[in-house]
Amino acid sequence: MKTNGLMKSTAMLAALAGAAFAVPATVQAQNLVVWGSDLQADPLVNELWQEIKTRFEEANPGVTIEYMPPTGNISDGAVQAAIQSEAGPDVLLTNSGIGRVTIVANAKLVQPLTAQYEELGWKDKIYPWLYEQLSTQFNGEIYEVPDGVDAIAIWYHKDMFEENGWSLEGGWADFTATLDAIKAAGVEPIAVGIRNCCNGGHLIGNFLQAAAGPQMMGEVVAGEVPWTDPAVVAGAQNLVDSVKAGHINPQMTSLDQDAAIRLWANKRAAIFFGGPWFINNVRQLDYDLANLGYATIPSDLDDGSRPTGGVGWSWMVPVSSKQPELAMKWIDFMLSEEIMMLRAEHQTSSQLMARDLPDVEPVVPVMGEVFAAAAEGVGYNPSVYIPGSALDTYYQVIGGLVGGQVSPEDGLAQIEAKMGD
Amino acid sequence: MASKSAIPERVGEAAHAPPTAVRTEDDPTRDSYGTAFALLAPAIALYAVFSLLPIVATVGISFTNSGGFNTEAQFVGLDNYVRASEDPIVWQSLLRTFLWLFYHVVLAGGLGLVLALAVSSLARGKVFFRTTLFLPHLVSLAVVGVIWANIYDPFYGLLNTLLASLNLSHLAQGWLSDPFLVLFSVNVASSWQGFGLYMLLFIAGLQNVDPTLYDAAEVDGASAWQKLIHVTLPGLREVLTFVVSLAMINGLKGFATVFVMTNGGPFYASEIITTYIYRMAFQAQDHGLAAVLCIMMSVLAITITVTFNRWRARGAT
Repeated sequence: MKTNGLMKSTAMLAALAGAAFAVPATVQAQNLVVWGSDLQADPLVNELWQEIKTRFEEANPGVTIEYMPPTGNISDGAVQAAIQSEAGPDVLLTNSGIGRVTIVANAKLVQPLTAQYEELGWKDKIYPWLYEQLSTQFNGEIYEVPDGVDAIAIWYHKDMFEENGWSLEGGWADFTATLDAIKAAGVEPIAVGIRNCCNGGHLIGNFLQAAAGPQMMGEVVAGEVPWTDPAVVAGAQNLVDSVKAGHINPQMTSLDQDAAIRLWANKRAAIFFGGPWFINNVRQLDYDLANLGYATIPSDLDDGSRPTGGVGWSWMVPVSSKQPELAMKWIDFMLSEEIMMLRAEHQTSSQLMARDLPDVEPVVPVMGEVFAAAAEGVGYNPSVYIPGSALDTYYQVIGGLVGGQVSPEDGLAQIEAKMGD
Repeated sequence: MASKSAIPERVGEAAHAPPTAVRTEDDPTRDSYGTAFALLAPAIALYAVFSLLPIVATVGISFTNSGGFNTEAQFVGLDNYVRASEDPIVWQSLLRTFLWLFYHVVLAGGLGLVLALAVSSLARGKVFFRTTLFLPHLVSLAVVGVIWANIYDPFYGLLNTLLASLNLSHLAQGWLSDPFLVLFSVNVASSWQGFGLYMLLFIAGLQNVDPTLYDAAEVDGASAWQKLIHVTLPGLREVLTFVVSLAMINGLKGFATVFVMTNGGPFYASEIITTYIYRMAFQAQDHGLAAVLCIMMSVLAITITVTFNRWRARGAT
């Protein structure tokens, strides 16, 4: 009996020891630092991202997701600084498009993901046109995985437009007549935050496309047609004329995007140019989302009246990532049907996902209008497509055009001069 | 005996001798130099690692086409210097840097002096006002930028609203959108944060002015203005020099408020050399050009400081 007991005890001890050594071998504790949504301070957005974290951790035992609050993006240099600090995230979500990606790719701050597009089938998990666009930008090398596609157009107050009989239909003359009527009613026709780059780009991108058309703008941002082409100059001239007519207050140059959104949400302005992300911005200001109207900019061209856009936000893997393999798993997880549907049907959903999701039922009704407007494709938001070397000049010129400091010809010539740098 | 008596004599000589004096192996000052070096070594090492080495590296980078810390940089000779000299934004931002510097010295330094004189003349409540007026200096410049951007907001801002409530709407301005006003407006915010330190330095200086000089001036029938010009300001000469030098150096370092409040705009109207350096280095990743601009800024700082101190020394003699 004693021998048996001893043998049993020994066997149990051996089994326990084996288990103790076996567990860490199969489930190794790992930490993945994720620079996620810049809206995560919003409780509702945070709820969604916590759900994603939980599901990822369940699917990958031993892995803990740690969200690092984003301090900015590529446009303001925060991403570059975070990566170079070596204390940055393992995987990050930031504003993107070739213009911005060029900056971090040329500086060798992010890893190429081309192999993963093949090995993990990512090329089949995004729109084919999107993959085509990405795969021809850096001699075939791809550095980003699109998280969503932007669709930048006009946001307006439905009640205000109905009460005053204002319309966003027709051609350019109708549009300026509407802006005149809004101005006469004592409301700022267009709110725009030019101070911190991107929103000025949303505005001018629409103005340029309405005058030159999406095809020409595609050629302009690709460097095939100069910025000084008369059709493009005409778009910039329309912007300057709008300023002169009081449709855009020159003082908007001192507002940032948040201040402009506040102005709009308080109904002191009638129109705001932005992508569907705008929904979350105004929701945070307790704006009634049922009153949100979305329309494309009127144009005299057949195809000029459509949203501008392109890759809005993308996932990237910094070269300083301590968990590159896990980072790829995370991106793969974000591209999965499960997570895409979860995000698309969440009440904070505010973007076109990176691939077609025909069964999606948007919780916010206005997203249906966004889907409809973008059904025939989106045009080009220059901020996304022009080279990094021209981006800063582009934003400064927008401020100069609205502030009356530079003529359309001179301003666009300055952008053109930077295109080849 | 003779040699014994010579030892203390030689020690005494060495103790008062200049460092260049010839020393022998049994010279005890050798030990004190060794100790001094040992004590200074950590500071020298830190200075070398965090100041000298980066300076040398910056000079090195300025001759390369470095696109970031992870890229292989090629030697490009003076290309970046030529690019900098041909870039109109560089010259415009340099000019604006001088203007920024002038505003800062006058606004922050001037306000510091005026408030120091006012606080020092108070019979009661000196500590309260000294503390209260120093408080803005404790606020980070980035936060100051956010606060003042809201004050200047053209639609909801405190300043334009206040002017409107006082029936002075005609004075309301686009404080940050008017290209001729924007640099001054941002500098007011920066100077609001900076004047407290200068005020404290002036108050300390005022405490060292001999009070009997005021009595003598009083006897001579000097007015308050004459006392300020002929007694107070000469008495503050050393502090004034220090404050102006400090204000110039701080002015040259101006960055956060401009970056937060205007991002250099509209259309470069508030772009100063430091914001352009940041833009080149961390947004465009053009480290070569950014390094050249850093060197330009350092040369500027050295030139201004040396020139000012020489001018002051000449005035003193």
